[in-house]
Amino acid sequence: MNPETTSWDRPPGRLRYVAWVPVALFFLFVPLFLPVYLQGILTKALIFAVFATSLNLLAGYTGLFSLGHAAFFGLAAYTSSILVVHYGLKSFWLVAPAGVFMAVLFACMFGFIALRVSGTNFFLVTLALGELLYSVAIKWKSMTGGTNGLVNTSAPNLGLSWLPVDPPFFYYLVLGVSAMSLLCLYFVTRSPLGVALQGIRESEPRMRALGYNTWLFKYLAFIIASAFAGVAGVLFAYHSRVLVPMHLGVTTSTLVMLMVIIGSDRVFLGPAVGAMVIILLEHPSSLYTPERWPLILGSIFVIAVMFLRGGISSFLEKTWEKAFYASAKR
Amino acid sequence: MQALSVKGLCLDFGGLRALWDVSFDIHIGERVAIIGPNGAGKTTLFNVLNGQLKATAGRVSLFGQDITRLTTYERVHLGMSRSFQLTTLFLNLTVLDNTLLAFQGILPSRFQLLKPLSSYRSLYHKARELLGSMALWEKRNEPVTTISYGEQRKLEIALALASRPKLLLLDEPNCGLTASENTEMIAQLRKLGTEITVILVAHDMDLVFGFAEKIIVFHYGKIISQGTCDEIRRDERVKEVYMRSQETSG
Repeated sequence: MNPETTSWDRPPGRLRYVAWVPVALFFLFVPLFLPVYLQGILTKALIFAVFATSLNLLAGYTGLFSLGHAAFFGLAAYTSSILVVHYGLKSFWLVAPAGVFMAVLFACMFGFIALRVSGTNFFLVTLALGELLYSVAIKWKSMTGGTNGLVNTSAPNLGLSWLPVDPPFFYYLVLGVSAMSLLCLYFVTRSPLGVALQGIRESEPRMRALGYNTWLFKYLAFIIASAFAGVAGVLFAYHSRVLVPMHLGVTTSTLVMLMVIIGSDRVFLGPAVGAMVIILLEHPSSLYTPERWPLILGSIFVIAVMFLRGGISSFLEKTWEKAFYASAKR
Repeated sequence: MQALSVKGLCLDFGGLRALWDVSFDIHIGERVAIIGPNGAGKTTLFNVLNGQLKATAGRVSLFGQDITRLTTYERVHLGMSRSFQLTTLFLNLTVLDNTLLAFQGILPSRFQLLKPLSSYRSLYHKARELLGSMALWEKRNEPVTTISYGEQRKLEIALALASRPKLLLLDEPNCGLTASENTEMIAQLRKLGTEITVILVAHDMDLVFGFAEKIIVFHYGKIISQGTCDEIRRDERVKEVYMRSQETSG
């Protein structure tokens, strides 16, 4: 599952993928036997898995480290909730695409500004643009509820009356949408465009010398990444039920960046693993020692960077390959 | 029609003039070497020719079309391709992916989102042919960081060839190669068909006199002489420049 190589003449090692079977079984069946509270945590973890993976299309694949990615996540979340709360739109099929559309629209504008620069400056411009939306969310009280937050307690209405609306239903909706989103992102990373993005990360001048309009490719990556952040945002609006400006701002952007780094930015599912680890640890720690959560998060970060070079998933992948090949040789 | 025509080209870096009124013409199918002491402006000229640097004054035309204001990637689509002196490959990608990316650069399918790059059979066959001719096919699944320097230099040339250039700019293709690798490289370059016009920058006189039909000599950003190999060998100014640069460096 290494995104760095296309799998042309790789020795047939389909068996290597058996590790995915228990993972799939876990996500499909285990939540049925979990209390609602734990189901909620898993739901949130899945949402952040999509969010972090979308950021990694920019950070890991294209080499563009954005510190404003939460802007698109929050924007989509706010848009869908505002439509429900203030405009009385109930249908998920209207509200969700509207949220994603807003994320894409703003990505088209912000990308145009942010991609005029690169490296550290890109980092700073994306940070500034994210904070811009954060301030708007604080000031525009009539729409966003300001710092008190925007409360939307309705469940997503799919217009299918025979569907139950209890928590397992929402979990499976999120599972379905996340799985589809991750699959789409996976296809993108393997496509000519996705490999071109990796080429830009490795050597942008060379890509230009090969005939690629690298600016356009980065712009497209920015928009695609923001669209999927928007998908995660819409789901998050239903999950969280209350949105606060922080969900648009640098706090959330940094958190998702940590997920990418801790999980690994060089393995496709790395950010998803990072998201799982952080969200699953966040809840028990905020139950027992809420004031120490930042310390714990910091320690995970340091451990991942110092001892698991390239992140947890990269480590897991290497260990698994080693174990698999060792057992195959025997 | 000329393959490349350069008229009155100047380039300033702030107050420093790096290229002074450079003019030359190159016929289709010609092999031209650009030589000169270090810092003469050879690589700078390449950077202007392929659009990485914008000329302060002057005109460049490629097969009769004015390309002075075009971007690097637009020039590639018109048939100009270059290799780099310092290897600029995609180090963490495999040899095969490097080559596929290079082929894809001039194809509309480079914007394709949903089909894996690895599913383009025709590109794969082209890559096999190209890498095979460079004796790199066996290394196709290895990341570029793990192959030898000599192999990286060959891949550098392969990438430049992949975009089907009509004009190929080679910046010190044999820089840092061992003697046997060098012989192989010269043989490799000699095999290029005459549908490709080649301009190369080189310090190695075996390569220059063994390959080029025409030589252009640069010194401090100016052309001090141009002509056939014999003319350049006899040229007093060229001798003087090379003797002097050897004195100062030795």
